[in-house]
Amino acid sequence: MEFALNEEQRMFRNMFRDFAAKEVAPRAEEMDHQEALPADILRKAAEQGFLGATLPEKYFGAELDGVSYAMLLEALAGACASVAVGVATHVSLAAMPILEYGTEAQKEEWLSPMAAGEVIGAFALTEPDAGSDGQALTTRATPDGEAVVLDGVKTWVGNGQIAGLFLTFARGPEGIEAYLVPADAPGLTVGYREPTLGLRSLSFNTIYLEGCRVPQANRLGGAGEGWAIAQRALDRFAIALAATGLGVAADAVEVASRFATERVQFGVPIARKQAIQEYVAGAYIEVEALRYLVYRTAWLADQGGDFSTEASALKVFGARVARSVTNRMLQVMGGYGFMEDYPMARKYRDARMLGIIGGPTELHAVRVAQRIFAGHDLEITL
Amino acid sequence: MKIIVLLGRVLDPRGIMVNRRRGRVFVNREEYILQPADRCALEAALRVKDAIGAEVVALPRGPLPDDDVLRLALATGADRAIHIVGQAACDDAAWTKVLAAAVERLGGADLILTGATTLDTGQGQLGPRLAEALGWPQAVGAWAVETDGSRVRAIVRRDGTFVALEADLPAMVTVAAGALKPRYPDGARLINIYKGVGEIASALEVWQASDLVGGEALKPLLERRGQDFPPERELGTRITGTTEEIARAAANALRERL
Amino acid sequence: MDFTFSPEHRALRRLIREFVESEVVPLAAELDREHKVPYETMRKLGEIGLLGVCFPQEYGGMGAGETGYCILMEELGRVCANTAVNVGAHIGIGAMAIYLDGNEEQKRKYLTPLSRGQKIAAFGLTESNAGSDAAAIRTRAVREGDSWILDGGKVFITNGGYADIVTVLAVTDPVLGPRGGITAFIVETQWDGFKVAREEDKMGIRGSSTAELVFEELRVPHENVLGKVGEGFVTFMKSLDMGRLTLGAACLGGAQTMLEACVRWAKTRRQFGEELAHKQSVQWMIANMATEIEALRSLVYRVAWLVDTGQPFTQLAAMCKLYGSEVLSRAVDMTIQIHGGLGLTRDFPVEQAFRDARINEIFEGTNEVQRIVIASNIFQEYGVRIRP
Repeated sequence: MEFALNEEQRMFRNMFRDFAAKEVAPRAEEMDHQEALPADILRKAAEQGFLGATLPEKYFGAELDGVSYAMLLEALAGACASVAVGVATHVSLAAMPILEYGTEAQKEEWLSPMAAGEVIGAFALTEPDAGSDGQALTTRATPDGEAVVLDGVKTWVGNGQIAGLFLTFARGPEGIEAYLVPADAPGLTVGYREPTLGLRSLSFNTIYLEGCRVPQANRLGGAGEGWAIAQRALDRFAIALAATGLGVAADAVEVASRFATERVQFGVPIARKQAIQEYVAGAYIEVEALRYLVYRTAWLADQGGDFSTEASALKVFGARVARSVTNRMLQVMGGYGFMEDYPMARKYRDARMLGIIGGPTELHAVRVAQRIFAGHDLEITL
Repeated sequence: MKIIVLLGRVLDPRGIMVNRRRGRVFVNREEYILQPADRCALEAALRVKDAIGAEVVALPRGPLPDDDVLRLALATGADRAIHIVGQAACDDAAWTKVLAAAVERLGGADLILTGATTLDTGQGQLGPRLAEALGWPQAVGAWAVETDGSRVRAIVRRDGTFVALEADLPAMVTVAAGALKPRYPDGARLINIYKGVGEIASALEVWQASDLVGGEALKPLLERRGQDFPPERELGTRITGTTEEIARAAANALRERL
Repeated sequence: MDFTFSPEHRALRRLIREFVESEVVPLAAELDREHKVPYETMRKLGEIGLLGVCFPQEYGGMGAGETGYCILMEELGRVCANTAVNVGAHIGIGAMAIYLDGNEEQKRKYLTPLSRGQKIAAFGLTESNAGSDAAAIRTRAVREGDSWILDGGKVFITNGGYADIVTVLAVTDPVLGPRGGITAFIVETQWDGFKVAREEDKMGIRGSSTAELVFEELRVPHENVLGKVGEGFVTFMKSLDMGRLTLGAACLGGAQTMLEACVRWAKTRRQFGEELAHKQSVQWMIANMATEIEALRSLVYRVAWLVDTGQPFTQLAAMCKLYGSEVLSRAVDMTIQIHGGLGLTRDFPVEQAFRDARINEIFEGTNEVQRIVIASNIFQEYGVRIRP
C-alpha cells in the first residue's frame, strides 16, 4: 500500500490549487449570482488541459490518472462547485464514454475539440418520468435509412445551455442505445432551464428531441449497448461528484476554522469553545475519510474492470459528508453563515445538490446492498 | 331595520378526500366551516348594516350540533344569534316551519338573507320555502343586495347576463357563493364569545325547536336511502392553432358556457 | 390531564387558517422571489387583531394567550416562513418586551398600535461583536437631562428595515455590565439619529428585512426607558424566552407541511414500477418525520400551557427552539430527498423551504447557546455553575 502522492501528482495538485485560487475563487460569488459559467473561465481551464483531463495526449488531453483528476475536481470545487460539476459532466459523462466506446472516427471527430473546449459535452439520460429508473426511458430511436430519428424529452441535462454535444440515450429496436447528437442537429431544442437551489452557475436544461435526425454512424457502441454505457459513465460521475463534495467540504472546514479563530464571544475566540471544536474536529475527520475513499476509488477505476459498487458506496458517503460538513460549518459561522455575502451559504446549497444529481443517495445505497446480498445468493430488485 | 341571516355549517373540503374507487368520502381532518354561500349572505347583511344601519340576527339554517357558526357570525359583526336546538333528522321542509315561528317570535323582520345553495348537498330550497311560508317576495342567487330600508334590489344571473330584481320589504334574498368577499371576524370578539366575557357573550341565546312548533311538524319528508357519486366530470377539449385562433376559440367556448 | 384545545382556540385556528389560505399562501413564493416584506399582510393581520393575539384587550390585543400565539405561529409557519418571521419578530420579541416590562403609559402608547398592526416592531439586541454573547454589547446610552443619548449600532435586526418602533438594548454603566449596567429603550425609527445602514442578502427568509441599524446621537426621552434603568438585560432575556417557544411553533407548522408534501409526492411518483410510498427508505423518512412532529407538537403546546398558567418555562422554551429547529431541518432535508430533482428547483416550494428553514438553528440564540442554557439549568440544580 502506498498512500503518498507521487511527484507528478504533487505537482498537479499545486497547479490545480493555484488555478482554483487565482481564476475561480475570486469570481465564485459573482458566478452564483449571475447563474452562468463565464466563457473565459472555461477557456482558461481548456488552456490548462482541464477539459481533456483524462483524455490521452493523442486527442490533446492531459492524460491525468484518476487520482489527479479527482484532485482537480476537489480543487475546483473548493472554489466553486458549479465549475467542478460542469467539468465533470463534460469529462466523465461525455468525453470518457466516447473514449471507451467510440470508433476511431468518432474519437477523431469529437475528442480533440472537447479537450480544447471548443465543444462542451452534456449527458441526456433523465426524463420527466424516468429519473433514476433508466429502464423506464421513453425516448425513441427509430432507424430511417442511413439515419436514425430521435423523439422524446430529456430533463436535468447538465451543461445544457452551453453544450455542443449531447450524449443522448434512447430506446431503439434492440434496447437502449447511445447517440452522439450535436447541439445543432435538426429537431434538437434546448428548452427550459431549471432554477436550482445550488450549483447555480451550472445550467440544467430540458432538451426536446422532435424528429431529431442524426446519422446511424453517430451511435456510440453496439446495438443495445446504451444502458451499459450509461451505467459506466454514471459510475465515473459518482466518483467525480464525491470528489466535488470533498472539495466543498474541505474548503468549508477551512473557511469556518478561520472564522472561529477570529470571532470572539464570551471573551474568547469561539474556537476555544468545545462545541465548536467538536463540530470542526468531526468535520475534519469525515473530510479525511472521504478524501482517501475518493482517491482509492479513483485509483480503482483506473485499474480497469468493474467499480460500480465502490462508486455507489462513495457517492453515498461523499454526498453525506458534503451535506453534514457544510451544515455544521454553517452553524459555526452563525448568522454570518446564512448571509449570501459569505461563501458558506453557497457551499451549503451546492452540497445539498450532490445528494440527488447523479442518482439519489437511496438508490446508490440499494446498489451497494444488491452487491452485498448477491454474495449471499439473494437477488434484490429495485 | 332588522335582517335575519340563516347560517349552516359544512365539512371543510380541504380536510376530506373523495375516493371513488372505494365509493367513500374519507374525512382526514374533521373541521367544519360556515357554508360559503351563507358566509356571503352574512357579508351582504353586514354591508347593509354598514350602509344604513340594521340589527343583524343570525339563525341556524337547520339543526346544528354546535353553535360555532353562530359565534362566528357574532364575531364578524352580527348583533344577536339564536341557536335553535332541534332533532338532527329534521329536513328543510320541517325546519321552514321552525324558522317561520322563530321569525314571528322575533317580531318579524325586514329582510331575510341566506346562501343560495349548500356546498355539500347542493340544496337551495330553504330560502324559497321560507319566503312562501311567510308570504314574502323572494330573489334567488343574488350577486349583490342593496336596500334603502323600504325596497330591496338584488342582482341575479339570468340567461348569461345579470338582471336586477326589486321588491318591497319584507323580502327574502338568497345569495350566491362567491358573490362577495366576506370580511374576517374580529379576533378579540371571537375570543370573548367563547370565553363568555363582555356584552357580546349575552348576544347568543338558545331556543328549543319544540317550543316553537309541535313535534309532529318536525317530522321529515325526506328519507335518505343511500349515497352515490355524481358522474365523473368529462375531460375538456384541447384547443390548438395560432395564438389568435386559440384566443378566439376559447372566447367562443366561454361565451357558450354563459 | 387534558390534551384538547379549548373551543376558543379551535375557533381561533379556524380563523387563522382561513386568513392564511386567502391572504398568505398566494404571496409565499413572491416574497422570496422579489425579496419583499409582507407589509400588507401585517396590516391585515393587525386589523383583525392577530398581531396582538397574546396581549390583553385593553392594549388592542386579542387575549388569546400564549397558546393562541403558538397557534398563529404554527399556522403561519405551515404556509409561509417569511410571514412567520416578520410576525415573530414583531410580536414575539419586539412588542413582547414592551408588554412584559413597559409601564402603563408605554403600553397604551406603543403596544396598542403594535397590536393593531398600525406600527411594526423590531428587537434591537445583536451587535457585530455581540451575537450569542449578548452581554458584550457596546451601544452606549448617556443621560443628558431628561433624555438619553444613544450611540452605536445593531446588526441582523429582523424587521429593522421597516419597523416603526425598535426596542434597543444599550450600556448605561460599563462598569456594572449585564448586572445593572444595561438598559432597554423604546426607540421610534423616525427620530433624528436613527439610520438603517444596510439590509442583508440572505440565503433564506428573503421575504424578511434583516437590517444593520446605526444610532448617531440618537436622543431618547427618559420616559422611553423600558423597565428600570440598568435592568434591560433581564427584560430582553425574558422576551427571548417567549420568542423561542413560538419559533418552535413556527417550525412545527413548517415540518407538518413538509410531511404532507412528502406523502402527496410519495403516493404519486412512480419509480421502478411502483409508487415511492412502497419504498422502505421513503417509509422510514415519513415515519421518522411524523414521530418527531408529534413530539414537537406536544412540547410546544405544553410550554404554551406553562406560560398561560404562570409556571416557569425558560428551560422548556429553550428545548422548543432547539428541538423545533432541528426537527424542521431534518424534515426539510428528507423532503428534498424524497422529491429528488423536483426538490432542487426554485419552481417548487421545497427548495425555498430548505433555504428558509436553516436560519431557525441560528437566530434568537444559536442552538449551541440553547444547549448551554439547558445544560446550565440542569447543572444548577446540582449546584454546579456553568460559565458559557
